[in-house]
Amino acid sequence: MATLFRAIRHNGKAAAGLLILIFFLVLAAVPDLIAPGNPATITNDVSLGISGQHWLGTTGFGQDILVQVVHGARPALLIAVVSGLLATVLSVLVGVSAAYLGGIWDDVLNLFTDVVLVIPTLPLVVVIAGYFSHHSITVMIIALVVTGWSFGARQLRVQALSLRNRDFLEAARVRGERRSYIIMFELLPNMTSLIVANFLGAALYSILTASGLEFLGLGDVNSYDWGTMLYWAQNQSALQTGGYVWAAVPGLCIALLGTAFALLNNAFDEISNPALRPVRRLRVAS
Amino acid sequence: MRFLIRRLGFFVLTLWAALTINFAIPHMLPGNPVTAMMARYHGRLHGQALQAVEAALGINSHQSLLSQYVTYLHNCATFNFGISVANFPTPVTSVVGAAIPWTLGLVGVTTVLAFVIGTGIGALAAWKRGGKLDSVLPPLFVVATGLPYFWVAIMLIMVFAEINPWLPTAFGSDSSIATGWNSDFVSTVLQHAVLPAGSILLTSAGVWVLTMRNTMITTLAEDYVRMARAKGLPGRRIMLDYAARNSILPNLTGFAMSLGFVVSGAVLVEYVFAYPGVGFQLVQAVDNEDFPVMQCLFLVITVAVLLSVLLADIVTALLDPRTRSAR
Amino acid sequence: MKTGSLFRKRAKALGVTAVVASTLLVSACGSSGHSGSTATGKRGGVLTISNESGGLWTCSFNPFNSSVNFLATGNVYEPLVFVNALQNDKTTPWLATKWAWSNGNKTMTFTIRSGVKWSDGQAMSAADVLFTFNLLKQFPALDLNSIWSVLSSVTQVGSDQIAVTFKSPAVPYFYYIADQLPIVPQHIWSSIKDPVSFKDDKPIGTGAYVVNPCTPQNITYTANPVYWQPGLPKVTTVKYPAFTSNDPANTYLATGQAQWGSQFIPNIDKFYSARSKDNHTWSPPITQVSMFLNEKVAPLDNPVVRQALAYATDRQKASTIGEGGQEPPGHQLGVVTETYPDWVDATAKGKDDYTYNPTKAAQLLEGIGAKKGPDGIYVLNGKKLSFTVINQGGYGDWVASLQVVAQGMKAAGIGLTIDNLSNDDWTNKLFNGKFEIGYYGETGGPAPYYELRQFLYSANSAPIGQPASTNFERYSNPAADALLDQYASTADPAEQKDIIGQLEQIMLKDVPVIPVTESVAWYQYNTAKFTGWVTQQDPYAVPAAFSYPDMGQMLLHLQPK
Repeated sequence: MATLFRAIRHNGKAAAGLLILIFFLVLAAVPDLIAPGNPATITNDVSLGISGQHWLGTTGFGQDILVQVVHGARPALLIAVVSGLLATVLSVLVGVSAAYLGGIWDDVLNLFTDVVLVIPTLPLVVVIAGYFSHHSITVMIIALVVTGWSFGARQLRVQALSLRNRDFLEAARVRGERRSYIIMFELLPNMTSLIVANFLGAALYSILTASGLEFLGLGDVNSYDWGTMLYWAQNQSALQTGGYVWAAVPGLCIALLGTAFALLNNAFDEISNPALRPVRRLRVAS
Repeated sequence: MRFLIRRLGFFVLTLWAALTINFAIPHMLPGNPVTAMMARYHGRLHGQALQAVEAALGINSHQSLLSQYVTYLHNCATFNFGISVANFPTPVTSVVGAAIPWTLGLVGVTTVLAFVIGTGIGALAAWKRGGKLDSVLPPLFVVATGLPYFWVAIMLIMVFAEINPWLPTAFGSDSSIATGWNSDFVSTVLQHAVLPAGSILLTSAGVWVLTMRNTMITTLAEDYVRMARAKGLPGRRIMLDYAARNSILPNLTGFAMSLGFVVSGAVLVEYVFAYPGVGFQLVQAVDNEDFPVMQCLFLVITVAVLLSVLLADIVTALLDPRTRSAR
Repeated sequence: MKTGSLFRKRAKALGVTAVVASTLLVSACGSSGHSGSTATGKRGGVLTISNESGGLWTCSFNPFNSSVNFLATGNVYEPLVFVNALQNDKTTPWLATKWAWSNGNKTMTFTIRSGVKWSDGQAMSAADVLFTFNLLKQFPALDLNSIWSVLSSVTQVGSDQIAVTFKSPAVPYFYYIADQLPIVPQHIWSSIKDPVSFKDDKPIGTGAYVVNPCTPQNITYTANPVYWQPGLPKVTTVKYPAFTSNDPANTYLATGQAQWGSQFIPNIDKFYSARSKDNHTWSPPITQVSMFLNEKVAPLDNPVVRQALAYATDRQKASTIGEGGQEPPGHQLGVVTETYPDWVDATAKGKDDYTYNPTKAAQLLEGIGAKKGPDGIYVLNGKKLSFTVINQGGYGDWVASLQVVAQGMKAAGIGLTIDNLSNDDWTNKLFNGKFEIGYYGETGGPAPYYELRQFLYSANSAPIGQPASTNFERYSNPAADALLDQYASTADPAEQKDIIGQLEQIMLKDVPVIPVTESVAWYQYNTAKFTGWVTQQDPYAVPAAFSYPDMGQMLLHLQPK
C-alpha cells in the first residue's frame, strides 16, 4: 500500500485524479454544509439565470441547480463504487480461478468471459431496463455488474497466469499450503495494482453507463442524480430555452468524476506495467 | 487455419449465447408483450379481438418453454421476427432494416476513422516518447475516455447548433429532400452526420491512442527493434515496419474486443441526435414497449459486433504469420 | 427529447376521444353541402405540419389502426357527420346529408350524399357505409370504439339511407358512429383477407387529399382531383415530416419552416410566440388528468378523507410548474369549464370551494378523529395517512405535476409517494384496481357527459383484480347511474344540462376522482402564408393535427394568402 501512495505522489495524472475524487467525496459526505437545501423542492422561481441567490440558476421547475448538483455526488459515487467493487470481485473470482485452476476450467471460464465481453453492454442493459417496470438503483447496479466484469476478468487471468509458475507460489505449494491460502495470501497481494486498476475501470464504466441510462429516462426519475438531471433538462428542452447551465453542469460533473477514474486507472496501469511509466528527464543535481 | 477455425467456433458459440440471452430476458423479467399490447389498446380489446391481435403479432404464451425456444431459434434463422407492436402492421424486419444503413454509415465509418487516427497518434506518441506530443496528447485522451458520449453530443449541439446555428441538431437528413443518389441528398446527409460523428470521434479515439501507445512502447523495447536501431536502419522504417506493424496486431484484437463499448456509446449519440439508426430505434422501442423490435435490434447489434470481431480475426491471421501455426 | 414521445402518446389518447362531438343538436339535421371555405380564391401552397411523431412513418394508412388512424381520417377517409367538440356539439354534414333519431332514440337513420367519388373514380354509395359497419362487426379488432357492443343491427333503407339500431336509447353514441367512423370503399376492402393487419399504403378514400407519396421521413398529401366539393381543398400540398423528437419539431415551428404545430413547446412565449408576429398559439383544454382514489382501499373509502385530499391538492401549482402553465388547473366539478361553460351548473359552481386549502383539509381530518404524528403526517385509526400514487413514469409532465402535488400534500399533513411505472405495468394496475391512487387522463368526449360517465358509471367498473373499462376507482352510486342512463335516452338539451349539474354536485360531495390539471389539444399556427386557421374566436374544429377527423376540416378551411 505504501508503495502505491508513493507511486501516486510521483504520477501527475494520478494526483490530479485523486484530487478530483476527493473533491467529490467531500460533496458526497457533507452536501448540506456546501449547498443546504432539498434538491427536490419545487418553487415558482423557474428557469432563473445565475445570481447571488442561485449560484447556478434554477431548473425549469424552480429547483436550485447548485443544490441538485452537490446532492447528486452521493448517488453517483455510490453507484460507481458499489457496482465497481462488485464487478471487480466477480472479475477476480472468474479471472483468477480460471488461471489458477487451469485445464478445462480455464478454457470454459475464459470462453465465457470472452462471450460476455463481446456482447455490447449498453444495448443489453437498455433491453434489461426496458423489461423492468420500476427503474430503481438496485436494478441498475445489478445490470452494471452483470455486464461490467468481463474486461477485468480477462486482464486478471493473464496476470495470474504469468504469476502462477513463479517461485514464491511454488514454494508455498511445496510448504503444503492450501489452495485458498495461496490464492488469498500469496497470489492476490501481488496483483493489487492491477485489481485496483480494474476497480477504477469498472467504476468508470459504471458511472458512464448509469448516467447514460438515467439520461434515457431508464433511471429513477424521482431521484436527483446527475444523469436524471440531464434527463429533465432534455425533457424541458433546456438547450432551446437558454437553460445552458442546466444541461452543461451535471454532465460536467459526470465528466470530471469519469476523468478522475480514468486518470487513476491509467496511473495504476502504469504502476502494474513499469514499461509504461513516463520517461523522466534526468534532473541535474544542484 | 486452426486459428481461424477456433475463432469461427467462438463466433458460433457467442452467437448462440446472444440468441439465448435474447430469448431468456423476456422470459425472466416482468415485462410482457401481451400486457404491453393490452396497455396499448387501453383495455378496449378483450377476448376475441385481443386474440386476433396476439395471433397477428405472433405472440403465443400457451406453449412449453422448450418448444417456444425451438420456434424462436427457427424464426431467427429464417429472419422472421414478427410484427412491430408500435408500428403495427409493419414487420420488425422492415423497421430494423430501414435503420441499419444509417448506423452502418455513421458508426461504421467513424469507428474505423477513430481507429486509424487514434492508432496513428498513438504510434507517433510512442515513437517520440517523452516529447512534446507525448506529454500533451495522451493525458488529453485519458480525459476524453472519461467523458460521457451523450454529454459531449449535447455540448456539441449547444455550441454548434443552438448558440451558433451552423449545423442541424437532429435527424439523418433534411426530410424535405427526397432520398436518392444526388448531390442534394448526399450533402444533407453529410451535414447531418458532422456533429454525431464528431462526438463519437472525440470520445472513442482516445482508447486507440492509449492502447497503441502502450503496446508500441513495449514493442520498442524488444530486441529486434534494438537490433534494427543498432544496424542503423532509418528511423521512419523502424517505426513503421518494425514497431508499428507489430503493435498494430494486438491493437486490432483490442479493437475487435472493444467494439461493444463503442457501439454502446453510439446508441446514446444516435439518441441525442435523433439519428434514425439502430441505437435510436432501440431506445424508441424501449420507450414504446415494442418488445419484438427491441429483441431484433439487440440481435442485430450483437451480430454486427460479432462479425466485426470475426473480421478482425481474419485480418490478424492474414497479417501475422504466428497465428497460422500457433495453438 | 423524451418529452416528445410522451406528448405524442398523450396526444393519441386525446385523439381517440377528444375529438368527440356532442349530441345536443343531433336532431336538428343540416343539409347544406359545403363544410369548408368558399369555393373561390387562390389555390396552391405547401403547408408543413410539425407534430412530433416519436418514430418514422410506417406509411400505413389503415383508418382502423389506432397507431396511424390520425393520419388518414378526415383528410383521406371521411366520416358521415362532423361533430365539433369546441362549438357546443355543432354538427356539419359530411358524407351524410341528413340524419334523424326515431324509435325512442334507438334508431338513427342517415341519408348518404350522392355524387361523391372515391379517389380512384368509382362512385361512393350507401352500400359502402353498410359495408363499413359490417366490416367492424366481422373484425372486432377494427372496432376501436366498440360500437358493436351497443348496436343491434345496421340495414340499408332504399337506395341512399342507412338505419343504425341500438340495443337501448343511445343518444350520446351518435358521435362514435357519425364522427369517429371513417367510411371505406367496399370494392377495395371486400377483397382484403386480413383487414386487421392491412397496411393500406395507397389509401383510396373520398377525402380532399390523396397520399402522394409517403416515405418514412415524410408524408406528402396532394389535392384529390376528383374531390366532391368543387374548388376544395385550397391548399394543394400538405407535408407531414416525421419528427422523431421534440426539439427539432419545435425549431421547425419557431422558424416558420412548419406552419401548423401540435406539441408541447417549453417556455413557449419566449421560444415561439416572441420569435415572429406571425406565430400564434391557442391550445384549448379538452379533458382532465386526475387522481383516481380507490374506493376499495381504507381509509380512501371514507368520503371525508377523499374531500381532505382534494383540499390538499395544489392544482394551481401543478398547472403552473408541472405543466409549465400551458395546461390549466382541473376542477372538482369534473368538467372542463373553459371549453364547456354552458354545462357548468350555477348551484354546483357555487358550492365548489376546492382550492388548495391545508387548513380545511386539517379540519376535515381532525373532525373524524385523525391526529398528527411526530413526522407531521396525520394518523387515522392507527393508520398513517400516507398513500402511493401510481403513474406513467415516461410522462415527464405528469411526474413533475405529481411531485408538486406531493409537496403540497406533505404541507397539509398527508403523505404521497409517487410510483413511476412502465406503461404496461401502470395500465394493468390501473385497470385491475391494484393501486391506492392512480394518476390518469380519461379520454372524455365531445361534451362533459362522456368524461363524467367514464368517472362515475358503475357498470363500467369491475371487481378488484378484473379489468375495468373506465371508473378505475370502483365508484358505485345508484343515483349517479340513474342520471347517466337518463341522459342517454334524452335529446333535450335542458334536461341534459340539468343532469350534468346533478352529476357535478356528486363530484363535489363524493370526490371519487380529483381532477388535477386539464389536458389540451396542442396547437400552434403561423399566419404568414396561410389564412383560415382555427382561432379562439372561430373554433370550428379541434385544432390539433392529431385530432381526427377535425384535421380534415381544418385543411378544408385553410387557404394560401
